[in-house]
Amino acid sequence: MMSQQDPSKTADELFCTLHERSKELSCLYTIEEILSNFSLSLEEVFHRVIAAIPPGWQFPKICQVRIVYGSELYDSPDFVETPFVQNADIRVQDAVVGRLLVCYTEPTPEADCGPFLQGEVKLIQTIAERLGHFILHQRLRLMFEEMSGERREEAAAKKSWRIALDLLSNTDQSLFLRISRKMMNYLGWRGVSEARSLLLRHGENQDREELFGEANWPQEKTSLDRLYKLSEETFKIAAANLTDEEILGRVQKWINEDRSSDAVKVLENIYSSLNEVLDSMRRLKLLLPQGAQLSRAKADSVRVALIRRFFTDQLEYINILKKYVDLEDFFDMMGRIIFPPDSRGKLGGKSAGLFLGSRVLSQAARRAKALGTVKKPKTWYITSDGVINFLQYNNLEDVIEQKYKDIDEVRLEYPHLVQVFKNCSFPSEIVKGLSVALDDFGETPIIVRSSSLLEDRMGTAFAGKYKSLFLANQGDKKKRLDALLDAVAEVYASTFNPDAIQYRAERGLLDFHEEMGIMIQAVVGRKVGRYFFPAFAGVAFSRNEFRWSARIRREDGLLRLVPGLGTRAVDRLSDDYPVLVAPAQPSLRVNVSQEEMVRYSPRKIDVIDLENNCFTTKDIRELLREIGPEYPSLDKILSLYRDGLLKPPLGLVTDFVKEDLVVTFDGLIHSGGFMPQLVAILKTLESALGVPVDVEFAFDGQDFYLLQCRPQSQSAEEAAMEIPADLPSDSVLFTANRFVSNGRVADITHIVYIDPDRYGEIAALSDLAAVGLIVGKLNTILPRRRFILMGPGRWGSRGDIKLGVRVTYSDISNAAMLIEVARKKGHYVPDVSFGTHFFQDLVESGIRYLPLYPDDPQVQFNDQFLKSAPNILLQILPAHKKLADAVRLIDVARTTGGKTLQVLMNADREKAIAYFAGPGSTHRPAGAAGLAAGRDPNEHSRWRRRMAEQIARLCDAPRRGVAAVYLLEDAIGGLDGPDAEISLLIHFEGTAEQKKELQAWLEGWNAALTETNLFRTGLRLERLLVCRFVGREAADKKSAAAALGLPEEALFELPIVTKAPRGRKRVKSPPNS
Amino acid sequence: MAVKGFNPYEMAQKQFDKVADLLQLDAASRELLRQPLREYHFSIPVQMDDGSVRVFRGFRCQHNDARGPCKGGIRFHPQETIDTVRALSMWMTWKCAVVDIPLGGGKGGVVCDPHDLSAREQERLCRGWVRAIAKDVGPLRDVPAPDVMTNPQHMLWMLDEFETVHGAKYPGFITGKPVGMGGSLGRTEATGYGLVFTLREALRELGIKVEATSASVQGFGNVAQYAIELYTKLGGKVLSVSCWDQSDQASYTYRKKTGINLKELLMITDRFGGIDKSKAEALGYERLPGEAWIEQDADILIPAALENQINAENVKKIKPGVKVVAEGANGPTTPEADEVLKQRGVFVIPDFLANAGGVTCSYFEQVQCNQNYFWPQEEVLDKLDQKMTAAFLAVYELAKTRKLFMRDAAYVISVSRVAGACKDRGWV
Repeated sequence: MMSQQDPSKTADELFCTLHERSKELSCLYTIEEILSNFSLSLEEVFHRVIAAIPPGWQFPKICQVRIVYGSELYDSPDFVETPFVQNADIRVQDAVVGRLLVCYTEPTPEADCGPFLQGEVKLIQTIAERLGHFILHQRLRLMFEEMSGERREEAAAKKSWRIALDLLSNTDQSLFLRISRKMMNYLGWRGVSEARSLLLRHGENQDREELFGEANWPQEKTSLDRLYKLSEETFKIAAANLTDEEILGRVQKWINEDRSSDAVKVLENIYSSLNEVLDSMRRLKLLLPQGAQLSRAKADSVRVALIRRFFTDQLEYINILKKYVDLEDFFDMMGRIIFPPDSRGKLGGKSAGLFLGSRVLSQAARRAKALGTVKKPKTWYITSDGVINFLQYNNLEDVIEQKYKDIDEVRLEYPHLVQVFKNCSFPSEIVKGLSVALDDFGETPIIVRSSSLLEDRMGTAFAGKYKSLFLANQGDKKKRLDALLDAVAEVYASTFNPDAIQYRAERGLLDFHEEMGIMIQAVVGRKVGRYFFPAFAGVAFSRNEFRWSARIRREDGLLRLVPGLGTRAVDRLSDDYPVLVAPAQPSLRVNVSQEEMVRYSPRKIDVIDLENNCFTTKDIRELLREIGPEYPSLDKILSLYRDGLLKPPLGLVTDFVKEDLVVTFDGLIHSGGFMPQLVAILKTLESALGVPVDVEFAFDGQDFYLLQCRPQSQSAEEAAMEIPADLPSDSVLFTANRFVSNGRVADITHIVYIDPDRYGEIAALSDLAAVGLIVGKLNTILPRRRFILMGPGRWGSRGDIKLGVRVTYSDISNAAMLIEVARKKGHYVPDVSFGTHFFQDLVESGIRYLPLYPDDPQVQFNDQFLKSAPNILLQILPAHKKLADAVRLIDVARTTGGKTLQVLMNADREKAIAYFAGPGSTHRPAGAAGLAAGRDPNEHSRWRRRMAEQIARLCDAPRRGVAAVYLLEDAIGGLDGPDAEISLLIHFEGTAEQKKELQAWLEGWNAALTETNLFRTGLRLERLLVCRFVGREAADKKSAAAALGLPEEALFELPIVTKAPRGRKRVKSPPNS
Repeated sequence: MAVKGFNPYEMAQKQFDKVADLLQLDAASRELLRQPLREYHFSIPVQMDDGSVRVFRGFRCQHNDARGPCKGGIRFHPQETIDTVRALSMWMTWKCAVVDIPLGGGKGGVVCDPHDLSAREQERLCRGWVRAIAKDVGPLRDVPAPDVMTNPQHMLWMLDEFETVHGAKYPGFITGKPVGMGGSLGRTEATGYGLVFTLREALRELGIKVEATSASVQGFGNVAQYAIELYTKLGGKVLSVSCWDQSDQASYTYRKKTGINLKELLMITDRFGGIDKSKAEALGYERLPGEAWIEQDADILIPAALENQINAENVKKIKPGVKVVAEGANGPTTPEADEVLKQRGVFVIPDFLANAGGVTCSYFEQVQCNQNYFWPQEEVLDKLDQKMTAAFLAVYELAKTRKLFMRDAAYVISVSRVAGACKDRGWV
């Protein structure tokens, strides 16, 4: 893969280089053809090779060749020796038997190596190597011909194998000895007693020798004579115990196997550099088709060595992969690996996962038709130590220590780090390698993906922490190369991104020696107009953790489908929805009414804009207006929405400008082929890997491409949790045993409980509706993702309000979990909704859902707690006295003495539990709250209080009309937590003008505080500072509190600065501080 | 009904009792109209995709057909109860009567969760429903329509089954069909236009020139969009509209004091009536909080979004200049707020009447189907205008002469029309 190209070369030079390369290849091809004809004599072969070489060199007319073989010389006509010469040894079984020379008759311009090009240096070596193999092959063939041909009778008299061995002992002593040794072992295994005693004797000798060695005695070298004698004896025993055919067969097989042994040795040596490994692989690749053999054990050993070499030491992975991979598969890959000199790097986790996935599928496809054809996009790799090499080359080794710094420091420095990386230069091997890769890709868009050692290891999911970058890859080569280098640098920089470091720190992976491999893949898709994209793409999970119907089983899987590039399927979306399907039951849709189907359909599409050379997100309708019927496979993706009815588009009559087209994937779901294929893929992979898997894929309109394959996300929020069995029953809030998914919801501070009985007794429609309103209000007040909603029946249902709280998604958008309680009514237990009315919103925002069946005798349901815990609703929303019976707001910490609620779910066991646990319980949440781990638990509130004081002090109260500033001692949630707000109540008495100015000033504070909080915690909040205003009516603290409907204690007055009469400032202290 | 808690059927009966008192209806009429004439309960076995069979429960209530064939939707709901269906069938009777179309009231449903059913299973369920009741429904007896969780596709399956059972074409069996498959033109416009037809008449009666008025609209969906279109065409000026912003999960009011331009707003609006906020601001619209629609200096308020939007709290924010509230949504005004509006003398066109354009157009669909001749759109809208205008004037006259509030007058007129038909037929 190495080439002599330089990125700065002009097109002419590039053309020249390519031309040379093609000459070299055709020369090699001619020589291969000559060497494949075994009927030729050696002399004839030499002459033909001599004639074939010059056309492959840069200046054929002045090029001449000489082959030295033993004492013989074979020359081009009129050969003259000149100083402009290059040469290579011809070896047979490691012994030099001759030499190949190429020289020019006159001086030529200086090239890479004297007058010769780098490619020519390689070429002459390859030809010499091939000649060596040919000679060896010829010798052996002759030998066996002698044995089996016209001399058979004679041979039979003299034992045919004997002749072969004689020949061998004369030509290749070491091979002869190795074969003798193998025969001795073979006889031993066969249980031939003489052989055993021979082995024993041989062994004794060895032992004694070693003993001497240890005794610091000059070790006696076993004389060759003795070894020969041993061989004699061995074959004598063989002749007595084995048939002639068997001996001949064995010997023949061992000779063949031996030919690959050198290469194998290099491959098996863990200290070989990547360069040596690839060389040996190339040799093996040439040898194997020529009859060289590997024993099964040897082949296994080589496979394992290569898996370890390229992918991982993890035994789980090796055990699986070795069953599915052939040497051929490595050969396919080896031409596209870019690496620094002396590289000992690997290809990284993502590459490993994809390699495994595609091997498993292509093996299985031979047996299972349903799998169809699964392709893998063309991929180049940079080995994982490339990043280390890059750091050393740019003297950036210090960066590695970054991971041990404080996280806010890392966060602060990261943007600069990215810039530094992007301004660094790359070692020339890498630049050359990437340049060749670009030639290989041409102007097709590519994606540069991280493939680090930590990523996608079995057992840890390190998904999405590192970068993947799309490149449109258009324009002249230099521009494209620059963009590619830039992208690689950026992916390298992401090794040090604060989120990744934090994630590693939380999981004890910080000390892991992380290296970053790179995968450069051709983007799957096709060019349509000025855009490039696949018809559709998606992510498929073999286990469905978001079931929307009781009829869907976990093993029916889950599919997130989007039109265009798969980026929108991979991440949860805040502004759009993928189409969700359970592949094994595709007809049970999440959205049933036509309106829902339209509302929750993808509206945007990610594509590569070839004209602007960039990745971009388009409105799908806009795109359709532009390219219309050119969209690949549109009948599989789109439906026509007309008169409230979705129907399949009828090709020719669809007006792409006027018609309302909706992405439904109806065609794909109903057309048959695709879903069964996907189910087969998921099942095959899951059973091969032994764990649930998730895959990324794309469909270009013609073929299915596998883009990634890994164990299904094991992040703490979605992993199967251990369900503690030994909890005292009073600390358990509920257990569940139906429709449980995997994951946990940790550190819940508040429970909003709609009492099913009380709710059922509400008689007025407006009161029922008000319950929904209260939930909506609480949603804006309670700490985000720290409260759960529990209530009867079908939430969000548009139908009978009595059977479920009427809310929309925006009323519950900040909850951590929605729990529908299905209480028995008379003799029947009502259905739950599975959150179907806002199911996709729940999925996209990560709000968990669980149905509870309290009347099931197998489950616990702590009704007592829910009914008797103090209800603080009226402290928060005093106006809703009437409904306080039905809506209970429980402050968990206050009720349980400082504990929080933990919900652990395990789908494999169909069990979930919610229990109260003290701070520092083992199940710490990841992400936001996890940051606080090991730090001062009050640091967030302390910082917030300090900032609030600063604001009050600096607000220039008299000038801006501020009379007093109060901090809201948030009755619920407090100031603690990285996502808490600073809530101020400002008693304002100024003019509208002043208010405007004050608001602008506060807005500035908000911006600064949010930014600082981001650095401190990694959380981007939209609004950290929330200010409310009261006017003159709030003359004192009491009335100010009353204006908000809060008790007086909820406010804390902050000191502000008022101007003293003589222009001096004085601090007005609040009376109670 | 001994069940505690909210019961829609009881509520509908109470509402009827109140009107019956006003009308001083005799005991027999009351008894007849307090409950459906006929109820059908039946089981629908459906073969599921996996080969198993599930049995679903289906209903059809025909509340009253004294004025003509029953008319009303079919609901698919997992917790459908007969009481809900009864209440809704009664409401349909009043709704048809208020616009004076010759139809009675009906409603039907199936206890099922369509989320648990594949499309094929839903088709079999629809066909099963029709087979179970084919003899007791039909263009001359009872005409179903789409409702909660049912859509035009379900209607076509049902129509097809009905025609198969009866061995002939009966496009008038069911409404809500797509145009070209027996649907009527003008359906999309009907509710919004109907609303403005009544508004136009109200202004005329109040002696206010449309051209001199301005309006603030809540919602920017189908109803609001067509209402704004027609109102603007008549010369009115819409100052502001509010709509839901999906990405912010909040609603906003967009205001342009010189009057909004519907065309340019529609260009930046998604399918669900969500206006692109940055583009709107670029076009010079002020973006105000969602609640702000109610506190505009307009003559007319048109709540055309959700129920309970004008409540005891925000009713105080309504500016003194507001003269008319035209209820485009269902139940947008809470009873407390209604009281306040009454006291302030704001003229309210009740939802019941104001959004009856939809049911009127369903009636037109049926008429066209029965004669198998379809009108051009102008004709549909023209006839809609006549119906709505006449309906409004009748209610208005009654309100004026009997000194009733419009909402009460609308109910009184419907119940009296139905009760009268029962008497004319000699039933009571």
